[in-house]
Amino acid sequence: MRRKVDAAIGKTSFSKHFQRFWQLYVMLILPVAYFIIFKYLPMFGNVLAFRRFRPGMSLYGTEWVGFRYFKMFLGDTAFWQAFRNTITLSLLNLALTFPLPIIFAVLLNEVQHWAFKKIVQTVSYMPRFISTVVVIAIMGELFSPSSGLINNLRSTFGLGPIYFMNEPEYFRPLYIFSGAWQYTGWTAIIYLASISGINSELYEAAEIDGANRFQQVFSVTLPSILPTIMVMLILEVGRLLSLGFEKILLMYTPSNSAVSDIIDTLVYRVGLANQNYSYATAIGLFSGIIGVFLVAGANALSKRLTGDGIY
Amino acid sequence: MKKALVIVLVALMAFSAFASPVAEVKEEGPLKFSMYYSDNATLPFKESWLAVQEATKSVNAEIQWEIIPIADYSTKVSLALNTQTNAPDVILYQTTTGENASLALNGAIVPISDYSEWTPCWNAMVEKYGMEDDVELLKLQDGKRYYLPSLTDVPFYDGGLILREDFLKAEGFDAPKTFDDLYAILKAYKAKHPESYPLTVLAGPRVLYRMTMPSFGLSIGKNGSGGSRVLSWNYDEMKYFPAAISEEFKAYLAFFGKLYAEGLLDPEMAEPIDGSIWSRKMATGAAIATWAYYDQIGGVTAASTIEGFKLQMYPALAGPAGAHHQQKNRTGSGIMFPAATAKRADFEQIVRAVDKMFFSEENSKLWCIGVEGTTYTMDGDKIVYADNIKKAAEGIYKYMQLEYGCGSDVTQMVWVNAREMTKYDENYAQINKAVEAMGNVIQYIPPTPKFDDMEAEEAAMLMTPLADKLEVWCNAFLTGKKSLDKDWNAYVAEMKGLQIEKYCDLYNTNL
Amino acid sequence: MKVKDTSTSSKIMNVIIYTVMVLSLLACLLPFVYMLALSLSTPQAIIQRKVSFWPVGWDTQAYRQIFTYPNFFRAYGNTLFYTIFGTFIALVMTILFAYPLSKTCLRGHKALTKMVVISMYFAGGMIPNYLLVSALNLTGTRLAMLIPFAINQFNLIILVNFFKALPIEIEEAALIDGLGYFRILPRIILPLSTAAIATIGLYYAVFFWNDWFNGLIYLNTRQYPVMLFLRNIVNGTMVLGNSSSASTDTASLSISVKSAVIITSTLPIIILYPFLQKYFVKGLTVGSIKG
Repeated sequence: MRRKVDAAIGKTSFSKHFQRFWQLYVMLILPVAYFIIFKYLPMFGNVLAFRRFRPGMSLYGTEWVGFRYFKMFLGDTAFWQAFRNTITLSLLNLALTFPLPIIFAVLLNEVQHWAFKKIVQTVSYMPRFISTVVVIAIMGELFSPSSGLINNLRSTFGLGPIYFMNEPEYFRPLYIFSGAWQYTGWTAIIYLASISGINSELYEAAEIDGANRFQQVFSVTLPSILPTIMVMLILEVGRLLSLGFEKILLMYTPSNSAVSDIIDTLVYRVGLANQNYSYATAIGLFSGIIGVFLVAGANALSKRLTGDGIY
Repeated sequence: MKKALVIVLVALMAFSAFASPVAEVKEEGPLKFSMYYSDNATLPFKESWLAVQEATKSVNAEIQWEIIPIADYSTKVSLALNTQTNAPDVILYQTTTGENASLALNGAIVPISDYSEWTPCWNAMVEKYGMEDDVELLKLQDGKRYYLPSLTDVPFYDGGLILREDFLKAEGFDAPKTFDDLYAILKAYKAKHPESYPLTVLAGPRVLYRMTMPSFGLSIGKNGSGGSRVLSWNYDEMKYFPAAISEEFKAYLAFFGKLYAEGLLDPEMAEPIDGSIWSRKMATGAAIATWAYYDQIGGVTAASTIEGFKLQMYPALAGPAGAHHQQKNRTGSGIMFPAATAKRADFEQIVRAVDKMFFSEENSKLWCIGVEGTTYTMDGDKIVYADNIKKAAEGIYKYMQLEYGCGSDVTQMVWVNAREMTKYDENYAQINKAVEAMGNVIQYIPPTPKFDDMEAEEAAMLMTPLADKLEVWCNAFLTGKKSLDKDWNAYVAEMKGLQIEKYCDLYNTNL
Repeated sequence: MKVKDTSTSSKIMNVIIYTVMVLSLLACLLPFVYMLALSLSTPQAIIQRKVSFWPVGWDTQAYRQIFTYPNFFRAYGNTLFYTIFGTFIALVMTILFAYPLSKTCLRGHKALTKMVVISMYFAGGMIPNYLLVSALNLTGTRLAMLIPFAINQFNLIILVNFFKALPIEIEEAALIDGLGYFRILPRIILPLSTAAIATIGLYYAVFFWNDWFNGLIYLNTRQYPVMLFLRNIVNGTMVLGNSSSASTDTASLSISVKSAVIITSTLPIIILYPFLQKYFVKGLTVGSIKG
């Protein structure tokens, strides 16, 4: 929704603008102040990426070392492998799990039995509350080579056991599948809220035009929640480099390390476990910059394709 | 009116400024300070514990206990020491390795060795058990020691090879003395139960490695002693060598690789198994051998429905380098003071109180066996535990931990082998005697090099890729994905490419 | 409400939908049922693998163990405090920020939005945040759990998006009637946005409910939320580092206790949601254009 009024009148002077909207500016005071204090001030800590950190001395580092730490990780093959792993896993994850909550929300909305709908909706977000530790533990049990359900089934067909949690080929599917299971219902809440705001008159109009339920989904539901979808997509794209660190750490084994090591786990092992905070900060800064570019790109693309973006 | 008020205020302020020194000198009442405690969910801290109550009373202190979950302990300590804000007065269960060494050298921790007149109890204990040399090793580059370590007179054998004794007896096997003996036993079980994996490990390969590698002459990996991950100590030549590319390691991999290939080693031990899963494997006979801790035996036995089920712990097996177990030191994690504590006016009192609270003769007994008359009585020279303790289902040791707070490695600072043995059954004492008789089973932990900041950073940067490579290849060799015959040289070349020799020199030149 | 459509395509669609829903229901529900069963079974039964979806050998020992964990109830109270007040503060701040930000005609709106988005990628890290909070003298106080986390950029952007999607005519009508934004926001916009606010309210509530890391670094024992204790129980074995003592190797409680922990810590939030659902009502309510 754009206010076309302004464009028609032409640029007004700031004092006139302020007179009209002063109440909005007042509303902004508290949140913006909060933002500056709690989000922007700590950013100065990133200066540590360019300074050497000595435990026990200044937390902003003791001397400038320029790009020393950046050169360190940019020249490290382990870093680039982790980088590739991160991007690959993220893109796969995005492609496969992004549509699921949308589909789920749309389908759920079509359920006409009110009580059943409520039950499914309530139950659907429960998996999100199971801590990652437990999810991985359950998966470990399910796929265990010696006692797991899946391998037991395999043995009844005469097939040998596969150690799923250890084999590199299964790492990505397991990661994505468990993520989908945990978060689909939860993310669907946003889309459901969005769908619930759709004006019912639109459906009536479509019906009058002869659309059946299936077609109504494509002509009314999806287009109406498109802005929400785009916003979510842009945000997800921006987070391409920051995967769930805890989960990967739990699923990591030496055998699948070639595909499972991601930037965050690398940072943890090299930076934090060795208390090399400068190194960790440098990588964080690098990832952050890439993230900003990704969002800007996704936003511009979204605006071009759908006319809407985050900013 | 206002002026009068101001004058009164100023007068009051002046009065209190002069009055307070007098009041301070006279200050009595309990000493107040805060202390970090590392909490374990299996043994949650209770301020009402007898040991805690009595120890605190004995020094007339009022302690604010900060209970921190063990998984997050190092984070919280690191935060407190790095930022010097919201830090406690005393931190338990720490050493000066890793970041703590740098923090100490940069002034974040009190060099407690400078204040030895204030730690008479600890000094006395060191002298009593002849540990002057051991505590000397704890001094850092600047010649100072930064914590009061726990003291052990003789390191004991609290975990090792555990086997199903009933199976051994049924098949007519003798107690295994070498790794080849073990191999025969495992093979026999596998023949009878083809779907089993006879050897499994509690908590993953790290326990296996650190308990069995010393018999092959090395100790590497995440919990290898010395913390270098890829180097080991040569006890004859008294220096480090690159064990990760050594013949000793190759022999080790050959043996365990053989076990894996023949289905004798549990493939799931590649990563830490949950304790309950391990219990289940042992209890149901899916495995009969493991490396674990003695006090696990009771729980597994209770859960088993197999007739005649009996687990027994055995002394360390002999490998190519003799019969050795995980290396241990006579000093352990101990007490340190953040630098801010030294600025307190009552610093001396705090140090004296902490020293007495944990290291005095009476309190060191208290933290171990409790209070005479309540938890034990003396029958001449022998310690006789109270009935409720003796009859406890968990065993004396565990019960005393849970009920009275005795025997926790966070708060008990003095460990006397003979006294500790009284808490276990006869069996355990016998095993320990047998181990002691074998001689030099438990060697000392190699010394930590004295790095300065730059060298510490260099060492850390070299270590991580080496440690990662080691883990991947070790696993590959063990599981047969890579062959020792064909791929060993490639592995050695890769490690050399990552500068393992330079890393070793770095260690050796800074000892 | 849509008129019931009973054509064949509609019936097929129904079949598909219901199948998917039932499968989802089972997939989501079964693990919880399983954990509930585990938490109420005896350890022996668990080791012998007898437990599937029903407790074997009814045993409440796991729950009793949790409840006798020192400070458990106080910790629960702390968590309730943080969740309720944290969510309230967060909602107020987020709404105050989101509403002006949703007005694309407002000067500075683009810059502000960029400011928000950029801050999502450049966080300072644990130590600078810690220093800030302690410089403000908030460490060791319960406020440390509420104030530094008042606005989550993700939730903010979601809300902005919802506000943008509201029909502008209603607002224009109100403006013409002489209402200022101070009154439009609470009287008109908020009642129309209950779905969105309930959503992000839930997201905030869950964040505060689950937050243990901030509790760890900013608080003292008396103020710990319950998640910190429970994490100790569930993550006992997750000691990452060079530990080589018996206490860390054997530090794992039985599966029944861990399962009981999960149930205890997640049940309240799960129960909360159905009550929020009524706010997800469809369509416009009061004061629409037609009236």
